[in-house]
Amino acid sequence: MITPRFDELIHAPTRLSLVAFLAATGWADFAVLRDSVGLSDSALSKQLTTLEHAGYVEIRKAFVGKRPRTSARLTADGRTAFDRHVLALQEIVARAGGSVVPSSRSSDKAME
Amino acid sequence: MSDQVEPADAARALSEIGRRREQVIRRKVFPGWFWWAQAVLTVALTAAIESQRGVLIGIGITLFAAGSLVINVPVSRAARAAPPHRSLASQPGSARKTLLGLATFMVVLLGVALATGLSLGAAGVPYPGTIAAAVASVVFAVGGPMGVRAEQAMLVRRAGSQG
Repeated sequence: MITPRFDELIHAPTRLSLVAFLAATGWADFAVLRDSVGLSDSALSKQLTTLEHAGYVEIRKAFVGKRPRTSARLTADGRTAFDRHVLALQEIVARAGGSVVPSSRSSDKAME
Repeated sequence: MSDQVEPADAARALSEIGRRREQVIRRKVFPGWFWWAQAVLTVALTAAIESQRGVLIGIGITLFAAGSLVINVPVSRAARAAPPHRSLASQPGSARKTLLGLATFMVVLLGVALATGLSLGAAGVPYPGTIAAAVASVVFAVGGPMGVRAEQAMLVRRAGSQG
């Protein structure tokens, strides 16, 4: 049973986007993360390092041929922290009497 | 800290989380040209086989195998770059629906190809197999992307209903 716990580290807007994307994937390539979340290389590196130091993200560096390839994924701790954070957010919204189901934007062209 | 977060801010955060989940599900893995390239390869292979000339059949099979491998490289690379987490891909009933949709699509393609080929053959039209493959390939190239979008929409709906 997961208990709600608001996580300040995850809640920062950029990291929330990043962690939410990672929560929906397994390993994600650096380039995909950068383009999907809309960050520069350096900004993404900085955020990933912060999350890695917190134990939320695991970073893998490999070579495909001669090209370096960096990937990241949430650790088990990161996934648990994210799930608890989502529950905390849902609790806040529920306390205010609103819907806890986030609206989905099915026609977001930026996602393509 | 959570007491200091406004409900509107929390709702925005939840909305952002849902949007990122949808972004992963809808991420484009198949480039638009993939379907048409596969269609062209299929028609070329059928034409080679229908020619009944050993050399052409050999070339056709080789081209089809090599071409299929080449056009699948960017697709598999894109698929591996950020695959949806198993919790999204293995929701109850989704695998069954996906397989059912895929099987239906295959049956439609086969039906179109057989109906066209047999009709043309009975009418004495030359190269009925190649023409039938061309017709089925157009259905494949048009229906393939539609099937992928339908699958993505189903996953988004199911993920959304789980909160």
